[in-house]
Amino acid sequence: MKRFLLAAAMSFVGFAAHAADWTPPGPIKLMIAFAAGGGADTQARLIAEDLEAKLGWQFIPEQVTGKGGLNLAAAIKDMPNDGTAIGMVVTESLGYNMRAADAGMTPDMFTPIVTTAGFQMAVVSLSSKGWSSFDDMIAAAKAGEELRFGTMSPKLSDLAYLIGKANGVDFNIVQVRGGRAVMDGVNAGDMDLGFMAGIQAKGVAAGDLVNLASALSEPLKQTPEAPKMSDIGVEFTADGYFLFIGPAGMPEDARTAIADAIAEVASDENSKAGGIIQKAFGGASVFKGAELDALIAGDYEAAGALLDAASE
Amino acid sequence: MDVAGYIWLGILAVFQGPELSFLGFSLPATPVMVLCGFLLGIMVGATPGLAGPMAMAISLPILISSFGYNPDALLPVMGFLIGVMKGSTIGGAVPAILFNTPGTPDAYMTTLDGYPMTRRGKARKALRVAHFSSASGDTFSDVVLILCAPFLAVLVEAYLDLPEKTALLILSLAFIAAVIGGSIGKGLIATGLGLLAAYVGTGDDFYPRLSMGTQELAQGFPITTAVLGVLILGEVFKGIEDSLRHATSPGALQEVREEGDQSLRATDIRRILPFIGRSAVIGTAIGALPGVGSTLAATLGYTVGRNRHARRKAPDHKDFGEGAMEGIASTEAANSSVSGANLIPVLSLGIPGNAAAVFLILAAESIGGFNPGPTVFKFTTDSVNPELVVAFGLFTTMFIANALNWTVGGVFMRTMSVMIRIPKHILLPCVLLLTLTAIYVQETRLVAIWFAIGFGVLGYLMRRTGISPLPFVIAFILGGKLEETARQAFAATGGDPFFLFSSPVALLLMALTLVVILTSLRPKKEPASP
Amino acid sequence: MTSKTRANLFIGLGCLALGLVVAFIWVPLDTDTGLIEKVRRRVSIGDALAPTIAAAFVGLGGLLLLLSERNAEVQPFPSRNNLRFVLFFLVMLVIVFGVMRWAGPFAVQLTGSDEPYRTLRDTAPWKWIGFALGGFGLVVSLISAVERRLRLRTVIIGVAAVIALIAIFDLPFDDLLLPPNGDV
Repeated sequence: MKRFLLAAAMSFVGFAAHAADWTPPGPIKLMIAFAAGGGADTQARLIAEDLEAKLGWQFIPEQVTGKGGLNLAAAIKDMPNDGTAIGMVVTESLGYNMRAADAGMTPDMFTPIVTTAGFQMAVVSLSSKGWSSFDDMIAAAKAGEELRFGTMSPKLSDLAYLIGKANGVDFNIVQVRGGRAVMDGVNAGDMDLGFMAGIQAKGVAAGDLVNLASALSEPLKQTPEAPKMSDIGVEFTADGYFLFIGPAGMPEDARTAIADAIAEVASDENSKAGGIIQKAFGGASVFKGAELDALIAGDYEAAGALLDAASE
Repeated sequence: MDVAGYIWLGILAVFQGPELSFLGFSLPATPVMVLCGFLLGIMVGATPGLAGPMAMAISLPILISSFGYNPDALLPVMGFLIGVMKGSTIGGAVPAILFNTPGTPDAYMTTLDGYPMTRRGKARKALRVAHFSSASGDTFSDVVLILCAPFLAVLVEAYLDLPEKTALLILSLAFIAAVIGGSIGKGLIATGLGLLAAYVGTGDDFYPRLSMGTQELAQGFPITTAVLGVLILGEVFKGIEDSLRHATSPGALQEVREEGDQSLRATDIRRILPFIGRSAVIGTAIGALPGVGSTLAATLGYTVGRNRHARRKAPDHKDFGEGAMEGIASTEAANSSVSGANLIPVLSLGIPGNAAAVFLILAAESIGGFNPGPTVFKFTTDSVNPELVVAFGLFTTMFIANALNWTVGGVFMRTMSVMIRIPKHILLPCVLLLTLTAIYVQETRLVAIWFAIGFGVLGYLMRRTGISPLPFVIAFILGGKLEETARQAFAATGGDPFFLFSSPVALLLMALTLVVILTSLRPKKEPASP
Repeated sequence: MTSKTRANLFIGLGCLALGLVVAFIWVPLDTDTGLIEKVRRRVSIGDALAPTIAAAFVGLGGLLLLLSERNAEVQPFPSRNNLRFVLFFLVMLVIVFGVMRWAGPFAVQLTGSDEPYRTLRDTAPWKWIGFALGGFGLVVSLISAVERRLRLRTVIIGVAAVIALIAIFDLPFDDLLLPPNGDV
């Protein structure tokens, strides 16, 4: 039955893509805003591989890293908007980062195409610290222990600051490059706790790491009992997704066809890309079309309030 | 998972990793790549004008493209580079012995006794001595690496916090600036320029600093353009100019004539072993220090060997400089034992000590999934630390390369005398095109080629002004890490401006830095002349 | 005193000046956050600090050359001939890479097709035109400059080099682009 449903779903999506009847006019340049070899880079390259095998489109992956996706945004902004240049960033790139950088770029200079997966962002510490809950950690800090909070982006540093503020604690916020570096820092004892976006799943399952809190508006999939941001007194969240974008003004058929194609492999657990998305993020989270436009616009708006709150 | 388990996994990763199919046979890729790299290394080592780093630089993008950007690619690619590194050291002795032309800079000392032996008709024996000494030095060095690196890394991780790590990076940079090239002023200039280049376009703020508002600089200089530009293109430019000036004809090479017994007897081995032993220790010790390369090791090994030989030699044995086997043995054992040991700072601290190590770091960074440094040696027990498996895999590839060195190395090396016939002025333009193409294939924008050419001009000018390019490259690689660690240390200590001096270990490291700089400022005695 | 032994004076002065310019003009003008900055009620290290330290190294190195290594025995310095060579070399590279960049699009235009080169950039034989001509030019002009004549052997080497590189980088790999095809 399950297989039948899957087949039905696939034929439906296949039909939709076919109906759009769009094929790329040439090879597609796929810019990747993440360091080579990391989980996000692998996801992008596998999506390209899956689509090449399935649809015969041709992708040319290329690394354009740095500045939280803004370097990629600046590079893709003036490329042809016929669907032959797309890039993978995170929603934070068009939201907080673009707002904070204030460098003359706004989300409407891009076409958001589709999201693939949402972060399982959590506040994590080593279980050997002896904290089993968020409150334990706050109690330790209040007892005078100076705590180092590892983060991997300015937005998360702001959130760490607000978490401290809401709970009457002053963290030493240590911002590093990439989620992997937070995990290494926490493991090495250079930091006491930190944000991790899904990379912690294995360590939490093994009992080495503890999810103290969910940094999302929702509970974590792995440890639903951990408190959400709103439970620990912060009105902002680290909700975020991997996002494919193109230059502004992409024709609707190209946008829809690419979005459907990517969404299909991302959601298919049996595809290579879908497989690793399932493993790291517990499944795909797909937003596209008008729903995605609203998400991006909302993020950009909310970023202003977060920036204000964190500079108080 | 215990230590033995990790070692076993590392060995398995080498032999059961990705496979290469060849004519229907399926072979494990890593050992095959080590072999290919090793043979290529001997070839380029034997070719005057090419050297190991150049071959590593050129093959890297091809290798990464073939094996892909995933952790499975690490062992085949790095194994290949390790093969090149080891092969080129023994290859360099071939033209040094046969034609009085060192194939690599550190083989210069080999000419002093190697060529006289050739003139006496003992060419093949000289090559055998060189090979035996090289392979012995190499083995010794590998063993030391494998015993020391994990230990040092665990120690570092256990005792060094962020401020101490910052101080350690500062000490290494000071050491490199002070030691390489023999002039602290020039060393500082090269280090400063390297750091400056590393800071373009990077930083924490969303505005890409020092980019002058351009899109091209906003992404910073890709590491390949800086490293290949300064190290490789600078050398190529200089080589092309030299051949323009001295319109070359390689000329008729002398026929190598041989007479008498060419084999290496047990008595010979007994004679050279004490020299090999001393030089291996010297080379290993020097290799373990960042920035001090195989050329110094060779010089030092030769000098120590010469002094001992002068005191103890039998009256009928030749003096150093007149064709003594002991001279070849001292040099070759010393320069070969550098290669294993200089991976100690790379693997345990993430600090590259010489050009070959630079390319290993470059490979790890380009492929991803392996960050050389103390975190590699985290012996997790309930889950497998994949980086540690890679580290033990690398050790395994070093032993494979070593075994190849003992077996096919000698035979292959003795067939390499033809390489000297390749004219430099034809080779270098091809190398130039190859390097630029390789850079483009990785970066896919023409501006990267222009960056590389710009760095090439810089490297050329540095060579013409006697500024060593190696501190530049190492500073470029460590620059980002230094700034990040300092920032994190500052933030982690709650904004303590004296974080570098607030713990005993950090204070000690900073004091050592001061000592290194002050000693190198003292007027030098005449260095031991070769 | 010959000009050769004044090399360290020139290098020293040059680096000192460079260090000062970078530290006091370029870095302050071209960074946004200063040496230190205040974020989230904490002092943190700004983007200007590291480049300023780098500039200080360059300047300090220059100063050391001036003060303590002024009379060093060996002081190499590039000659006028060296600089002339660099200039010749750069001009040649500009021409060669100009050919590499524009030969492909030009060839497409010659055929009168209205398909842009961009969509053909991964299609044989168009994708090879620029690289082949530019690469051939690079190899042949350098070898001929050294030999001071154009020999048939050189032409063969040029062709072989280009073919070899295409065979190494392009034929086996689907998603690699030869120059200049990533820029078009």
